Amino acid sequence: MGRNSNVDYDALIVGAGIAGMESALTLGDMGFRVLLVEKESSIGGKMILLSKVFPTLDCSSCISTPKMAATANHPNIKVLTFSEIDAVSKNLDGTFLVNLRKNPKFIDPVKCTGCAQCETACTVAIADEFNSDLIARRAAYIAFPQAVPKKAVIDRKGTSPCSFTCPAGVKPHGYIALVRAGKYDEAFRLHLEDAPLPGCLSRACYAPCEDECTRGQLEGPLPIRAIKRFMVDRYYIEHPEPEYGIPEKLNVKRVAVVGSGPAGLSAAYFLARSGYSVTVFESESEPGGIMRWGIPSYRLPKDILARDIKNITALGVKIVTGTRVSSTQKMKEDGFDAVFMAVGNTGGRRISIPGEDLEGIVDCMDFLKSCNSDDRPDVNGKKVVVIGGGNVAIDCGRSALRLGANEVQLVCLESNDEMPAHKWEIQQAVDEGVAINCSWGPKAVSDVGGKATGAEFVCCTSVFDTSGKFNPSFDESKRKSFDADIVIMAVGLLPNTSPFSSEVELNRNGTINADKETLQTAEPWIFAGGDALTGPSMIVKAISQGKRAAYYIDHYLQGMPMNSCHFDERLPMVDREAVLSRTPGDISDRKPVSLKLKPINEWARSFGEYESTMTENEALYSANRCLDCGGCSQCRQCVAACPADAISFDMRTELEDLTVGSVMLSTGFDIFNAANKPALGCGRFPNVINAMQMDRILAPTRPYNAVIRPSDGKAPSNIAFVLCTGSRDQKVNNRICSRVCCMYSLKQAQLLMGALPLADITIYYIDIRAFGKGYDEFYEQAKGMGVYFVKGKVARIEETTDQNLGVFYEDIEGNGGTRRAEHDLVVLSVGVLPTQGALCLFKDGSLKADPFSYIDEVDEDLEPGKTSIDGVFVAGTAAGARDIPDSILHSDAAAAQVAAYLKKTGKAS
Amino acid sequence: MEKKVSRNLGEVLRDEMYMRGQIIKILAEGPKTITEIAGELGYPPDEVLRWVMGMRRYGLIIEMPKEGR
Repeated sequence: MGRNSNVDYDALIVGAGIAGMESALTLGDMGFRVLLVEKESSIGGKMILLSKVFPTLDCSSCISTPKMAATANHPNIKVLTFSEIDAVSKNLDGTFLVNLRKNPKFIDPVKCTGCAQCETACTVAIADEFNSDLIARRAAYIAFPQAVPKKAVIDRKGTSPCSFTCPAGVKPHGYIALVRAGKYDEAFRLHLEDAPLPGCLSRACYAPCEDECTRGQLEGPLPIRAIKRFMVDRYYIEHPEPEYGIPEKLNVKRVAVVGSGPAGLSAAYFLARSGYSVTVFESESEPGGIMRWGIPSYRLPKDILARDIKNITALGVKIVTGTRVSSTQKMKEDGFDAVFMAVGNTGGRRISIPGEDLEGIVDCMDFLKSCNSDDRPDVNGKKVVVIGGGNVAIDCGRSALRLGANEVQLVCLESNDEMPAHKWEIQQAVDEGVAINCSWGPKAVSDVGGKATGAEFVCCTSVFDTSGKFNPSFDESKRKSFDADIVIMAVGLLPNTSPFSSEVELNRNGTINADKETLQTAEPWIFAGGDALTGPSMIVKAISQGKRAAYYIDHYLQGMPMNSCHFDERLPMVDREAVLSRTPGDISDRKPVSLKLKPINEWARSFGEYESTMTENEALYSANRCLDCGGCSQCRQCVAACPADAISFDMRTELEDLTVGSVMLSTGFDIFNAANKPALGCGRFPNVINAMQMDRILAPTRPYNAVIRPSDGKAPSNIAFVLCTGSRDQKVNNRICSRVCCMYSLKQAQLLMGALPLADITIYYIDIRAFGKGYDEFYEQAKGMGVYFVKGKVARIEETTDQNLGVFYEDIEGNGGTRRAEHDLVVLSVGVLPTQGALCLFKDGSLKADPFSYIDEVDEDLEPGKTSIDGVFVAGTAAGARDIPDSILHSDAAAAQVAAYLKKTGKAS
Repeated sequence: MEKKVSRNLGEVLRDEMYMRGQIIKILAEGPKTITEIAGELGYPPDEVLRWVMGMRRYGLIIEMPKEGR
């Protein structure tokens, strides 16, 4: 047949269960070009998951798999798995516009060999829908062993809130999943993939990830930083030196980094990993910037920083200390191809008050630098006033107490609630003895003989004006003064960028002006980042800046357009409410482990760490509180395990519009959720299962490799089937017969008698509907095998102390009344329900449903498969409950209707 | 062992990663039944069954023939 240029495909078939496959094969054999779209990662639908088919007891897999293979390999059939149809609308010319959505598989199907090593390596366990939730699959998974195509996909629902929030792109979900699985070294290495200073972050990060943790809406967020600390400490004890060395593939280009704070070190790390020759210039005697000289060692021990820096120097990064850079131009002359300026904040902001230059006035950064040196400031027995309300002011106050200050008064403009310092740090400072004085603004420093003796303050009535701008107001009538030997000014930080004012453009506040995305300055070879660009920030944000700079410097040095890609390509954050709704009901109350602080009398006057590292059990418990918000944690174990290098987290949803000549809906059916009949105990009693679960237990690819009851793994000896669960039942709004429950129960009963010859099998029924060819004989066969039939409606099921089940039923045929029988396993023969998705495909509502919400056939008897829309057809159980032979028959009838329509209307050539 | 209220299924299945280290330690002593493992862990056997079967599925443990137990 020649191609009709008006359509991409002659027919679109939605749903690749047995009906969809059969229709596709029939149409394909007729020469029509078919697009078969399946939302799961494999075709086959529900039939491939069944054990046997009735009444022949043929192996369901043996029948399904040839159909699946034939479908996938048919020259006229294009199969798209893991794809969905968002909408279908009819064009004026009678063809159909199809909005197709190809969901990202995150594994390249061309490379994937189906070896399943990604599954084995994956650290996230998720209920396996292909095994009716009897067992867990992994976030990386192949749907089932006979999947067609036999390709793995990764279940990513979005980026987990913790991982989405981290400015540096660290993946807390990933390393927490690894810690939970006991893979501590792998957890550390994952962190190192994303950020080079895990030790410093494990101590001094303010952990914005914890603020976003979904568990925070329950008992409290995961202690993510503390888990990281456990992971880092364990790794550093076992690995005093990095496990790697200089990259094998080196680049001839050279990059200079000015400043060895978190931004500079981070940039150097990522550039060196890309093979660049990197030299870091540091004006101080030791590298680390704010981490070495600003943050007190009780918060960040310097040996941890030193070990962190080894992660960077091991790559061949040269750090030149004691060298102050004052010209980037000179660096270019020295042969550097690019420069990253990460000079940080090295000085405190000044305020213009009388006495500001007196002896005894100390800049906060100078003070903290001295505290972090061998030449610590002499404040022993002295009165100290700290002006400022941020974290640096708190650090100064706490450090002064540790150095023996007699008294520390911290005075700030802000009210207690407005203080920029973190609440827990303020509380710790108060616990140690720092006196906090809020809502006071500095007026003057008093002096005797040119030496500061105290500070005077006026009451601050408000810090910000109505527009939110910093614009303090004062009540001059209210004053307060403090005696002081030392006054520490901690009212803000300034970057030391003035030496470069002739080489790069500076903003009014002294920060460097550069592109916010690429960090490139007006001089293409100069990049700038960290606090010198953003102003005072957090370590993790500075690391993010360094990482970003390295990314774009690499682009620049490779000659790639700077706008050709984006640094941050994370998937959108998953909705936390959606995460909680995924796990409804009885989530255990798992209280967070409290941070372990040493007794205050041990640490309040010591520069040693005051927080202890979690124990292994605490870390495991804490990690196991993770809700796996995003599905896949991005722990990258699959990447390491995949021999075909097929994993690609960069894949994204692809949208495509197609034109087709006709549409067939074969979207199958849903199974009644037996939890909606709570009296029957499904979901409450482990030994009450539904029939689909029993079919999985009996299937060749069964999850348990034996027929066992879920409560204890023992073989059941007295099994009951409860028919008409969720069908022929007004109470659950499904009053019709599901047409398959009687027969599949007879099938399962016979299979169970084969698997467990000594077991008693009882079927509770209202009436047995054995209407098809060979069905009644099948029923008689079951009776002949010894299946016990009880005509009686089951009202409720109760669990006994040994997890057997008391079945209460109405005895219809016997003496009447309510009776109780005991079984050790109950199978609820659940009914089938219409799926809702297909009806929503046509946004104009033109696709009609029948009274039971199945897709309506305009004339079921004379025109099978035709729907209310000309050119749209329905096949199989999407049109009504039916068994497999009837579904196949219906599919072929519908396919014939499609073929006739295409011929008649000329929508296919 | 005191019977626990049925937990959220997703949570139970998620716990497999957390529990498997403990289960491997228990099985290092020799083959055990689900109820024996559950007894040592202090968790309901139906939850242990799901973890053990998950571990079996991904090759962390194997099932002994009946006569070998």
